[in-house]
Amino acid sequence: MIPAAWICLFAPLGAAIAITLAGNRLSRRAAGYLATTSVLVSFVAAVVSFAFLLGDPPDNREHYSTLWHWLTAGPYQFDLRILVDPLSTFMMLIVAGVGFLIVWYSIGYMDGDDEERRYFAYMALFVFSMLLLVQGGNLLMLLAGWGLVGLSSYLLIGFWHERPTAIAAAKKAFVMNAIGDATMALALFILIQRDGTLNFEVVFSRTGSLGTWAANLVALGLLGGAVAKSAQLPLQTWLPDAMEGPTPVSALIHAATMVTAGVYLIVRTNALFEAAPHVQELAAGLGAATLLMAGLIALVQTDIKRVIAYSTMSQIGYMFLAAGLGAYADAMFHLMTHAFFKALLFMAAGIVIHALADEQDLRKMGGLRQYLPKTYWAFLVGALALTGIPPFSGFFSKDSLLAPALAHGWYGQLLWVAGMVGVFLTGLYTFRMLFLAFWGEPSPFVQEHFHALKRDVVGVSLAVPVGVLTVLAAFAGWIQVYNFWTPISNWLDPVAPPLVTASGLQEAATSVIAVALALTGIGVAWWIYAARRGEAPRTLPLLQHKFYFDELYDALFYRPAVFLATGLYRWVERPLVFGSLRELAAAVRELGFETRSIQTGLVRTYVLAIAASLAVITIVFVVVR
Amino acid sequence: MNGPDVVWYLAVAAFLFCTGALGVLIRRSPLIVLLSLEIMLNGANLALIAFARQQGHEDGQIFALAVMAVAASEVVVGLGLIVAMARRRLDLDVDKLRTLRG
Repeated sequence: MIPAAWICLFAPLGAAIAITLAGNRLSRRAAGYLATTSVLVSFVAAVVSFAFLLGDPPDNREHYSTLWHWLTAGPYQFDLRILVDPLSTFMMLIVAGVGFLIVWYSIGYMDGDDEERRYFAYMALFVFSMLLLVQGGNLLMLLAGWGLVGLSSYLLIGFWHERPTAIAAAKKAFVMNAIGDATMALALFILIQRDGTLNFEVVFSRTGSLGTWAANLVALGLLGGAVAKSAQLPLQTWLPDAMEGPTPVSALIHAATMVTAGVYLIVRTNALFEAAPHVQELAAGLGAATLLMAGLIALVQTDIKRVIAYSTMSQIGYMFLAAGLGAYADAMFHLMTHAFFKALLFMAAGIVIHALADEQDLRKMGGLRQYLPKTYWAFLVGALALTGIPPFSGFFSKDSLLAPALAHGWYGQLLWVAGMVGVFLTGLYTFRMLFLAFWGEPSPFVQEHFHALKRDVVGVSLAVPVGVLTVLAAFAGWIQVYNFWTPISNWLDPVAPPLVTASGLQEAATSVIAVALALTGIGVAWWIYAARRGEAPRTLPLLQHKFYFDELYDALFYRPAVFLATGLYRWVERPLVFGSLRELAAAVRELGFETRSIQTGLVRTYVLAIAASLAVITIVFVVVR
Repeated sequence: MNGPDVVWYLAVAAFLFCTGALGVLIRRSPLIVLLSLEIMLNGANLALIAFARQQGHEDGQIFALAVMAVAASEVVVGLGLIVAMARRRLDLDVDKLRTLRG
């Protein structure tokens, strides 16, 4: 089990290094296959460790393994250490499994790109970083993985570096994430100061001795990291821009795995969050606010990838809501089904974009159902799963995630209402996108630019992963059916015991209302965008401008910083720093002019000077002493 | 210990040194300046050896030998320079070599 976990961690890193070092000696296709194989190896290793873990008794499924001492500083010691427990294997399976499908898909999607090798090296590096994040056996390893996924995300968003927008988006993502990394590092400093270690088992067992202030600060710091990585309010603005990256990158990093790391963090450090209940409630509130806001913005986006990006933000809001209220297993269950159906939606959208010569504007699409029937079915399954229509996976996960909110007092009920409104919005924006892209008459743009996929390597590597994910998105929800069959809760509860559980009545009411609202959303979308096609409704400028968050941050941080910098340059740097340097140089030059006459060039003068000074020194030594 | 007192040696050394220094200061031919330098060095050597003899210690003698070696090398370089100057038909006058004037 332990060797399998290490193999799982290091296989993608090996591929990344190999592709980097091999350079031109490796063909582009071979680089893609190497990366895919390495992630497949990871997945197999994850399955092996999962199988071993399954054989252990349920209350003894926590195994640490230390490779070496990474850092030793005085009494503090941090090891390169992994943890194999139900939660980490759960994440390993998702990351490596979905990662394998998406890297495979990339072989077709990136075919013919100039720098495929670089792309696959980055992808493998990302999978390694993400596995490090979920397998890390202390908070420092987790933070290292946290930083590395941020780096690979930055590299992959800016992969098409000839586009200025891609570079700007990459920088934005990096800076936003750096804020979260910093607050997380501060939280870890407090923990080091209090506990002297960052090992999970010690830190989690000593939360009682932290004290209210420290516990709140630690939880806030961790929440800051989670919010930045998962694109929740108020650090959400980077995710839509991150769609500048290649579509498989959006599917893997900005839908299935990295952005859900915040949820994983809350579930993993649930002991720390439970020591600060108000911060945990804040997490739930932020999730609810984000899911509403993102759902509203998604209604007016015209870029197909951005609609899906906002829907990702909204779905992660649901997970935050559940994790913040203490329904950890439900949040992780939704994380899993979301990874399947959101990756599916992105990859189906990727096929559409591929077939339309890189066009992403929904307004130019239409009638694609006739051209891409299989993709249409895949997209439809993904959309139904996202909306939460039975029997697709989203139905099971989203309802079991919302129901516990009803059992959490008035605050939970408030969030439940927000979640329900979100369900309606989800139906509306998802099917708006579907109707706009696939229904109606083929638009002139589609008729002109469409080119079909061929049954070659490219076509196969695009089609097979999408097919597998379609099956998963359709049926994965059946793994857990409330109260009748709950393997995921049974599996994860020892790691993160739930704080709330819903009663049967609450569960049933939630399901019925959610499905009704989702169907209403679909119906409204059908009425506006399919039945009365062509009369696009007027949109609110508030939504068009994404609630003015970019403008707000621009006014709040960017402009004052620029103002301060130019002010300092004009009033401090130029007169004081440059001025003083100029004066200093002038003074030295003046001194040089004054003293140059001493240098006569006459050897005998020098000799006389030496002899005279020698004489003076001698006299001083002899007489004075 | 036989022979004259160390003071006599030092007097001779000082005389040699001053003669040399005077030569360096007042003569203008580089050849003579070099020659005077050698005299100064030998005055210093004499003092070193006198003290070595007085103290009964060989460090001074070793040092004097080292000074001789340095003086020999210095003469080689100095004479080489003077020969080069003569070849270029420059004036053999240290007062005329003032290109380093500030």
